[in-house]
Amino acid sequence: MIPGLGQAAPTATFSAPTITATVAVHELRPESEWRFEVAIGQKIEVRIMSGTAELFGTELALNHVYTFRGTKSSIYTWHGCRIEVTGSCEEYTAEETPMLQYANTHFALEKLRDEAHQRQGDGPRVMVVGPNNSGKTSLVKLLTAYAIRTGRQPMVINTDPREGLLSIPGTLTATPFASIIDVEQGWGSSPTSTSSPVPVKLPICYYYGLASPEDNTKLVKPILTRLALASTSRLAEDQIIKETGMIIDTPGIISQGKGGYDLISHIVAEFSINTILVLGSERLHIEMQKRFSAHRTSTGESITLVKLDKSGGCVDRDDTFMQQTQEAAIKEYFFGDSRSTLSPHTQQMGFEDVTIYKIREANALSFLPGGMEEEATGLYEKVEPNPGMLHCMLAVMYATTSDSQDTVRDASVMGFVYVSEVDDKKRRFKVLAPMNTRITDRPMIWGSWPEASMSVIG
Amino acid sequence: MSYGQGPDDIAEDFKSALQDLSINSRFEISNLTIIAKENTEHAFAIAESLKLHIKQTPPQKKLPAFYVLDSIVKNVGTPYTLFFGRQLYATFMEAYALVDTSVRRKMDEMLKTWKEPVPGSMDPRPVFPPELTRPIENALIKAKTSFVQAHQEHLKNQQQQLNRVRSTASPATYRDTPTPPNAYRPPPPNVAPGYAPNYPPQQPYPPPMNGQQYSNQPNGQQPYGLPPRPPSQQYPPQVAAGPPSWQQPPSQGYQVAENSIARLNSDIDKLITTSKAEWAQNPYDNSIGTRLKALLDLQTILQNQQLPPDQIALIKDQVDQLSQASQAANKPQLPSTPVYPPVPVVVAQPPAQQPSLSSILGPSALAALARASATPQPVASMQAATQIRSPQPPYAQPYQPPPPSAPTATSAPEASSLLDRLRAAGMLPAVSTPTTTSTSSSSVPVPPVFPPPYLNTPPTASRTPLATLSNDVVLKPASLKERRPHLISGLYERLGAPCTQCGRRFQADEEGKKKKTAHMDWHFKVHQRMAEAEVRGQHRSWYVDELDWIKSREVEDESGNATTIANNSSAATTTANDPKLQYLAVPDDPALANSLCPICQEKFEMKWLDEAQEFVWMDAKKVGDRIYHASCYAEATKDVNTQIKRGTPEPAGVLGKRKAEASHSF
Ligand SMILES: [Zn+2]
Ligand SMILES: [Zn+2]
Repeated sequence: MIPGLGQAAPTATFSAPTITATVAVHELRPESEWRFEVAIGQKIEVRIMSGTAELFGTELALNHVYTFRGTKSSIYTWHGCRIEVTGSCEEYTAEETPMLQYANTHFALEKLRDEAHQRQGDGPRVMVVGPNNSGKTSLVKLLTAYAIRTGRQPMVINTDPREGLLSIPGTLTATPFASIIDVEQGWGSSPTSTSSPVPVKLPICYYYGLASPEDNTKLVKPILTRLALASTSRLAEDQIIKETGMIIDTPGIISQGKGGYDLISHIVAEFSINTILVLGSERLHIEMQKRFSAHRTSTGESITLVKLDKSGGCVDRDDTFMQQTQEAAIKEYFFGDSRSTLSPHTQQMGFEDVTIYKIREANALSFLPGGMEEEATGLYEKVEPNPGMLHCMLAVMYATTSDSQDTVRDASVMGFVYVSEVDDKKRRFKVLAPMNTRITDRPMIWGSWPEASMSVIG
Repeated sequence: MSYGQGPDDIAEDFKSALQDLSINSRFEISNLTIIAKENTEHAFAIAESLKLHIKQTPPQKKLPAFYVLDSIVKNVGTPYTLFFGRQLYATFMEAYALVDTSVRRKMDEMLKTWKEPVPGSMDPRPVFPPELTRPIENALIKAKTSFVQAHQEHLKNQQQQLNRVRSTASPATYRDTPTPPNAYRPPPPNVAPGYAPNYPPQQPYPPPMNGQQYSNQPNGQQPYGLPPRPPSQQYPPQVAAGPPSWQQPPSQGYQVAENSIARLNSDIDKLITTSKAEWAQNPYDNSIGTRLKALLDLQTILQNQQLPPDQIALIKDQVDQLSQASQAANKPQLPSTPVYPPVPVVVAQPPAQQPSLSSILGPSALAALARASATPQPVASMQAATQIRSPQPPYAQPYQPPPPSAPTATSAPEASSLLDRLRAAGMLPAVSTPTTTSTSSSSVPVPPVFPPPYLNTPPTASRTPLATLSNDVVLKPASLKERRPHLISGLYERLGAPCTQCGRRFQADEEGKKKKTAHMDWHFKVHQRMAEAEVRGQHRSWYVDELDWIKSREVEDESGNATTIANNSSAATTTANDPKLQYLAVPDDPALANSLCPICQEKFEMKWLDEAQEFVWMDAKKVGDRIYHASCYAEATKDVNTQIKRGTPEPAGVLGKRKAEASHSF
């Protein structure tokens, strides 16, 4: 425990709202969508007074007060509803949405799942591609939520390091979803030492540690391969997930260029993708057709490719918003969310006690003249703790300090620590860790993503 | 034991003295304390008598009675502490529910002093062990949080003013906060221990410990307490400031607006009316009578007691479940008759007019409610158990079922049509021909477009009946643009009625009902556990490693919720703070890290516990702010502990179950 840390830290970041809360009631027609943006540090409370409503596919309970903080989101209604909103946010109601298409996509997948059940085979492995801000994650969430409501257990895979899924940014994860998705807090929470009002989810995490998969394809590819291996192993043993299949979110950047298409092919191959949903871009659709129309999966299946409309609700999330979201994710990792406060531990370690690998941004190196051999230098550079690490995250790996770099790379993440103090003179440094476990016998990886963030503790 | 001074006589004397106690009279309280002190051989009878008195005396006389209890435990201590410790929760909470705000405040103050050692005493232990006070605190925190939220909801326009008032009741009050300067004056030296020194003549009831006062207003009648202190001094400063988002009290769950209690009452009323009608129709069906009785009991409790919000929420859920299910049944468009064009807007409807208990909920629900409340281990529920079992006197007459022939209400003839509608809705099994004619609503019968295949054969699989719907969707642009309302209904009505807490839907069949009951239990327990954990301190777990993750499974357990059964770290991490385990993670706080066991004044044995992947102190146990040797503490509090704890699992057993979360390396 760090007395006072949890309490004292954040007051500086958020100012207490002083405006009197406003209450508004919105009447939504059937098949319309209420879209809203709550600024970081602000919150609104939403209550469905009547009718039915869902948030990215998860049904909202009537008369339950939901609190939304610092988010851009939307509430859709199939049957019409009346919503009471307390607090201020930017909002409007849209009548035109691609929801019919999206819901039908779910039903089409359901049909495939039923067929998989009949023949005891594999359910669809669905990959969602599209440029940044085309609504990929929202669609993945919707399809996940609908599958859960239907009694399925989809394996949800995030290959986008820009945003974490049940983890911090920079990680690639796979998570089976069997219980309701948290509507107030992203995707919900990974396990803590206590109960959660929304059942926790259990992700497996791999650490890439850079913002874009194109920053270091030599690193991201083996990690994706490992992620696919673990997911596939789980599916092989877990009948209900096997029948439901996978839903894979991808980074927008790989839908935007040549190098990216190569990564798409990598994901398609490693995860045996047999369904590709292309969001928004016609050009990308055509590219995908060219690439995959003749493609066969390892089991000889062809790939079903379909283009879906982009939702008008997709908003560009600027860098500031993304950065704030990133910081919020880190804070949540250590300190919990509004419903449950977590208390991280501080650990002090000597420089000599730890093994830290810094990720090389290899793709930058490859532009150097003279064909400098990356192989000689390796993926990571072993470094001593140094002031440059201050306020950075280190991934603690399920590996040993004597393991090879490749082994460390392929290891899954045990957790993260946050460097809160580096004392060059005494050669000691302090980290914030989720719990009081000795971590010096495990290698740690220092990446550039998520970025250093002061506001986590100050 | 002497003749004429048997426990009964003592208790009788004590009792009659108590009867006269209607104000905070120092004299009376001293007197009673002396009686208690001089008759410790009859402590049990005296304690029981006082407990009974607290329970039975009208609300305005409860506080003085508590002051007697307080005085006795602080000035006499053992064995009274043990006897009052039994059912302390119930004694405290039952009274708390009935008294007004000013008395509650005083009870809060009193509770605080119970967490501290008796001032001036050599005994470092708190007045009552934390195992006894903490559940009370937790229950109060929860109740207050909900109360604050309910009010914020209710009085949005006066929010600022409200915040000022209510923030003092926020949970942060009960965290380990620096205690205000000690205002207790130590007794003068050389005075025989006992009652007298603490009660200098001409003083009101002793100065409350730790600078807390029992009264915020100077009381003409020799008040039990010190002159007032500005409230702001008693609360940690961060409460007043706008708390950051991730630090606020739990904001989800049991929020009970005032008006929702009114609504709940009216819902129950309606359900009672309906059940009476049903009873009249089926006079020989005992289950209806039983349920009707349960409903009436519920009504009695609600009208006479202030239940904590989470209890109310639980009741509300059960009632909502009935209301909503029957509401759905009352709609002209039934789930089982999908129609084109799509299902019309579900607009706000008045609560159910014709709910039918037996057909929708089954006999288990209210029983489950009682069970959930009566489970001994979750401490907060003891209150509910007591309250449910003992409705307050005015309504004490047993329920008399109406004579079967009694023509209750005009609703009676409609009951059968309700059943028909429920059957048509697929909410009742059996009966082969769904009757769509409805006597009470003027709905036009809608011919089903699809024959609803599951209507006569309720699905048994845990999956939805969607599989039985015709699904022709393929991943082709044209197919994806078609409208298929019957499939949408597979995400809504066909899944059953939603949980009012989280929106998850449950089928109306047996299995669905069972799941829903378990699910409500789960909600209830989670809130309880969260409140407890909030006090204890909690942390994020390590992620599981590959092997554990691959081996873990999401399963529907009896709670109806998915949990993971791997040897995952979430299980592993609960142990450090679990008082049942006989070791403790070495504290980071330097002050604590150097601490000695308060009982034997010895250091703790530190070792690296590989299974836990932590440096731990063996045989250590944290109680309040102090760390004790578990064995010392157990010895010192043997009697209390045997009551509180039900067996201490071997640490090895628990550790064995969760193999080291970090032991796999590649
Ligand atoms: Zn629920
Ligand atoms: Zn000891």
